[in-house]
Amino acid sequence: MASDSSPGNTNNAPSSPEDNPSSPIANTNSSPAATNRRRRRRSSSPFITPPTSRPSFARSNNRTGPTPTTPSYTDEIPPSSEDGEDNDDGDDTTPTFVWGTNISVQDVKSAIEMFVKHFREATKENSSTSAELLFREGKYMASIRKVIEIEGDWIDVDAFDVFDYDPDLYYKMVRYPLEVLAIFDIVLMDIVSTINRLFEKHVQVRVFNLRTSTSMRNLNPSDIEKMISLKGMIIRSSSIIPEIREAVFRCLVCGYFSDPIIVDRGKISEPPTCLKQECLAKNSMTLVHNRCRFADKQIVRLQETPDEIPEGGTPHTVSLLLHDKLVDNGKPGDRIEVTGIYRAMTVRVGPAHRTVKSVFKTYIDCLHIKKASKTRMAAEDPMDVDNSLRRVDEDVELDEEKLRKFEELSKLPDIYERLSRSLAPNIWELDDVKKGLLCQLFGGNALNLASGANFRGDINILLVGDPGTSKSQLLQYIHKLSPRGIYTSGRGSSAVGLTAYVAKDPETGETVLESGALVLSDRGICCIDEFDKMSDSARSMLHEVMEQQTVSIAKAGIIASLNARTSVLACANPSGSRYNPRLSVIENIHLPPTLLSRFDLIYLILDKPDEQTDRRLAKHIVALHFENAESAQEEALDITTLTTYVSYARKNIHPKLSDEAAEELTRGYVELRKAGKFAGSSKKVITATPRQIESLIRLSEALARMRFSEWVEKHDVDEAFRLLRVAMQQSATDHATGTIDMDLINTGVSASERMRRDIFVSSIRDIALEKMQIGGSSMRLTELLEELKKHGGNINTEIHLHDVRKAVGTLASEGFLVLEGDRIKRV
Amino acid sequence: MGGPEYDCLTNPLGAVRISFEKALSSGYNPASSVGKDWGVVDLFRHYFSDESAISQIPVLDSSTIKWVQPKSLVRFRGMIQDMLGNEFYAGSYKDGVTWRTNKYSDVSQFPESSSSEMKVWERRLLYCVPVPGQNQWTESSSEELKNRFLNLTGQNREKRVRVDEEMTDSMESNTLEAGLNGSPYKKMKSGEATSSASGSQVTDIPPATSKDSLACLVKIYDSPESELKLNDVVEFLGVLTFDANTTMDMDSHDENSDDLSEAESVQMPSGKVPRLHCLIHRKLETQHFLRDSSLLVEPKSPQVFKEIRESLMKYLTGLLGNDHLAAQFLLLHLLSKVNGRVDNIAVGKLSLNLIHLNEESMSIFGTQLSNALKSLLPFTQSMPLTIEYLNTTSLGPKKDYRINRLMPGVLQIADGTHLILDETELQRGTLNSVGVENAQLLKNLVECQKVEYDFQYYKMEMATDVQMLIFSEGKSNIMPADLVLPFQPSQLNTLEVITPETTEAWRFYLATCKSLSHSIGQELQQVVENDLVEARQTDRSLGSQDLSRLLTLARMMSVSYGETTLSLEHWQMVLELERLRKERLK
Repeated sequence: MASDSSPGNTNNAPSSPEDNPSSPIANTNSSPAATNRRRRRRSSSPFITPPTSRPSFARSNNRTGPTPTTPSYTDEIPPSSEDGEDNDDGDDTTPTFVWGTNISVQDVKSAIEMFVKHFREATKENSSTSAELLFREGKYMASIRKVIEIEGDWIDVDAFDVFDYDPDLYYKMVRYPLEVLAIFDIVLMDIVSTINRLFEKHVQVRVFNLRTSTSMRNLNPSDIEKMISLKGMIIRSSSIIPEIREAVFRCLVCGYFSDPIIVDRGKISEPPTCLKQECLAKNSMTLVHNRCRFADKQIVRLQETPDEIPEGGTPHTVSLLLHDKLVDNGKPGDRIEVTGIYRAMTVRVGPAHRTVKSVFKTYIDCLHIKKASKTRMAAEDPMDVDNSLRRVDEDVELDEEKLRKFEELSKLPDIYERLSRSLAPNIWELDDVKKGLLCQLFGGNALNLASGANFRGDINILLVGDPGTSKSQLLQYIHKLSPRGIYTSGRGSSAVGLTAYVAKDPETGETVLESGALVLSDRGICCIDEFDKMSDSARSMLHEVMEQQTVSIAKAGIIASLNARTSVLACANPSGSRYNPRLSVIENIHLPPTLLSRFDLIYLILDKPDEQTDRRLAKHIVALHFENAESAQEEALDITTLTTYVSYARKNIHPKLSDEAAEELTRGYVELRKAGKFAGSSKKVITATPRQIESLIRLSEALARMRFSEWVEKHDVDEAFRLLRVAMQQSATDHATGTIDMDLINTGVSASERMRRDIFVSSIRDIALEKMQIGGSSMRLTELLEELKKHGGNINTEIHLHDVRKAVGTLASEGFLVLEGDRIKRV
Repeated sequence: MGGPEYDCLTNPLGAVRISFEKALSSGYNPASSVGKDWGVVDLFRHYFSDESAISQIPVLDSSTIKWVQPKSLVRFRGMIQDMLGNEFYAGSYKDGVTWRTNKYSDVSQFPESSSSEMKVWERRLLYCVPVPGQNQWTESSSEELKNRFLNLTGQNREKRVRVDEEMTDSMESNTLEAGLNGSPYKKMKSGEATSSASGSQVTDIPPATSKDSLACLVKIYDSPESELKLNDVVEFLGVLTFDANTTMDMDSHDENSDDLSEAESVQMPSGKVPRLHCLIHRKLETQHFLRDSSLLVEPKSPQVFKEIRESLMKYLTGLLGNDHLAAQFLLLHLLSKVNGRVDNIAVGKLSLNLIHLNEESMSIFGTQLSNALKSLLPFTQSMPLTIEYLNTTSLGPKKDYRINRLMPGVLQIADGTHLILDETELQRGTLNSVGVENAQLLKNLVECQKVEYDFQYYKMEMATDVQMLIFSEGKSNIMPADLVLPFQPSQLNTLEVITPETTEAWRFYLATCKSLSHSIGQELQQVVENDLVEARQTDRSLGSQDLSRLLTLARMMSVSYGETTLSLEHWQMVLELERLRKERLK
């Protein structure tokens, strides 16, 4: 037969009756029982309601108080008598009801009309003097006009609006979506045709933003036939399936074209004879493909997002059915929020069997799809500091209860302590380091001046310490906590691996930019382990990133500046495996001072034997192993709470400096600078640089954020100073004088060290001048050391061979001496 | 009918039906119940309240499937390998004026089209496979059961057919007539044949441990989701069903249908994978596998534990070439299990790395040891760590979205499995990306007792509890074990013959000790704390991991004597053991 070969028949019999979008597979049948009967009564699903079949709905509901045992199939009446039907609706004196409920069609219809015509955003609802109506058009009237103008196919309706305007209508819509949406469509079409009689397209309504969102796991039989909304990730989408809607046949004998035959519950009734009176040839009709009307259909599988999966479970999936314009709205990997109608259909045992399995296949008939990560691209403008959109893709969505819990938490007086306790609770000690890391997680406010100057809000932290002091564990922990972040090891990272590199696409030959770790952790935290083992070239790339927050590329015809608004958390081992307290920090970690100064906080994690902490550790471990042991466990937030807390704060809280805090900052900064000039000292010690004041601002902002406070208070600033001091005390202590010396960080050499070195060099010069002639005999370094010790009047500290060597090096560079092996020679 | 009112064993569905009718008469309303249990579970629980009743039920496996009747009650012991989500079914419907139910069956027993009212209920689908690495001794022999069962069904057969007939007029007659000759196994075979012949994209069903093993699709009713987790070892008791229409599923599988139809009907033709409608289920502990269940009941005195411990120690020492220290640690290792998690730390794990083993000594001691462990523990697996193995095997489970199934990896194993990793065969070579990933998986497993499941768009970590024994020449860097011990055998012993009773006692000992709870007295806690602080004061290189290990050892030591409280004596024994181990490491 002709129809067998037609492409429309690949999904032959695609559906149960009217809801032909609903059952796309061949072996379906919706024969049994109640749900089915209800379905039959329904004239159409909201989507595809062909205008012609629409009124039959109202008609089918003419029956009042239906008796359950005698289902009626009135909608099978051919929809030809369309015109009369619309009148029926209005004129009907007896109320019509949605079958099986006490919902009156008229009531719903008028409620929808009221809603569409009268809804206004954020205004009082009963403002329905006609004058005002003329003045200000309702939100949805405006969108209807717009749709007519652009000849669109649908109107998005925010379910929240519906609820605000008429909660009753909202509940009806959610409970009986098929019926109510069908009425909605009718209302829309009525309105459209009053505005523009000639507008022929069928406008559909698309509801989104339901008040409650279901989790995929909780879908149950009671949700069937209701409107639901749920989130998930697309894991698979089918190819687009053309689904036949109207078939046209042609007689092979006389060439007569039939009228379009509407697909009725998935079946095309092929005319057995030619419809032309003169011909009437039997079995002559053949399907004309290019005159048939097809609609797009797509089946998509949606999977739970990882955070919804309970421990020890696997993700659930659900099928979505997309139609027309919704097709190809998402691709695998997208996170979407779907609003739709949950439906179930029976499965026939086999295509040839009438028997039906007692099992249902379920799917969601989609009404609306919202992509969760739509704003990610918008944030790519390098100049924008979209505070409000910070990490939107993470979509921190909190229900009210959670929010209230967070508000409560943030009000706790010890929230700061509590948060820092919750951070890596299994790592003991290091309280101040944890507080610093906490500040990094919360981050400061990035600032973007009109002049184009940027001030980063991200806090960079360097941890330097002995092996086995759980630095890496801290890093891992932060990496896990931070919403977006990359964990790399310095040893395995190259410059391009961190920043970006240009590659040739093997297929197209185009040059493409591949992002590296730093770019990928934009708006997150980039954790770099083994920072000291990183190659110099890779490290030098970090200069730009850490202050300018961009990565600039100029190679292979691509000149680009990529955003890398990332906080850097690095950790390094001292150069000689263990920290040598006699050497300066710089010497210990072998990092260029330029890079070092870009870290807001530098913590030295030194393993100091401390019985107190050891005891706490011991207690903790014992408690871990024995159920009944006395526990030293303190109240702490679990990791998910902590993460959402941080995300929420980062997204929503943008503290500003209060006057008082600003004053305190200035005062403290001046004091810090003053501290360098201690009385009676001729040497100049810089304790603070402008970089530090920026750090301080960032830190205090982060501290305010922790409290959900919009203002940075004085005590935040105090704490920021304390944190800075603690960090600096450890790293910027000049071991010779015991004072804080920012010069140590900035140049790697402290002022007193420099002074000492100068004295050193000059005394060596003196000795050399005294003992050696130009071109004469050479002198061993050890001898020189002895001489120096003898001279030692002006050098009051211990002298080491490497000091001597360094000083000799200085002299050699002046051309005063030459160093051959361990002997020196005057030249 | 004669006999007991409910013939739970031979006609479970009949029992379900009768109890449903009873429930109806006492006011149970299917329309509002959402499929809630109406007393069937209690009925079956009561009927099978003791082990002897349960042992009457045949265990479903590749041998019993040949003679077990569909619609009869079976047991299935397996691991939950995948969860296939929920399934909605026509739970109950009105046949004229009376309600009927479809619960616990696949195909509705009455023509539904005639029914006027129907309620949709839901059930959960679990895909279960035999526990990977399950050892021979755990399998109960069902030979005698078979005979008994056949007799029983023989007697009841006539009756059953009649009952069936009345229940299943919509069913094809061949199912109905499925006597012993038309056994379902034959149908399975034919199902397989058609599946391969039709050539449609039936991807092979995830390989279970052996060719013979039988996977099963379990349908769970009325059970909270949190009760059963992935990789749990569970015994399901329920109604076995086969779908006669195997081939239909295959034919209807065209390109459109597979997207919407659930994968299970397509990928797992019911002729290949039997369905089990679970009535009751219980999680299995090692004890359940022990043959003589009477052992479990009587409480044991510490003296008994001590005796068994001594004999087992002797055996292990002999196995390990008289290396007493290694035997000590091995015993403690065998008793380890994860008993808590704090952040990333799995408390209680104790992986053991025996070093100084080369291929030669491995072939002697390794084989002996692994054979011994096989006879002692319910689930054991071993893994040769060669470059090729790492590069080619898929260790981590991976979700295949094409068929919407979780493809099991070698590391998808049940809790409590013992894993032997043999690194002695590792040669120089290059790991490809699969190899690197596998190595990382192993490392993560050793360090955190977690396995990453690859869901393509994201990864999910699943907690496991695996005892890992690693053999290597030097200290294994791929797998940093908790305990590293140089193996020093002094002589090669010929193995003595072990009586089954002794083995059984050892199995019992290991299983029981493992499950003992453990606590510490306040006084001793002080002592332990002081010792730890002191140790740390003297040796700064001791990290929290080392201290943690000491406490794990202490726990194992104490339970190995059947005691639930740590005593000073055992604590000192642990310290001494550690001292000896450290000495050996030098």
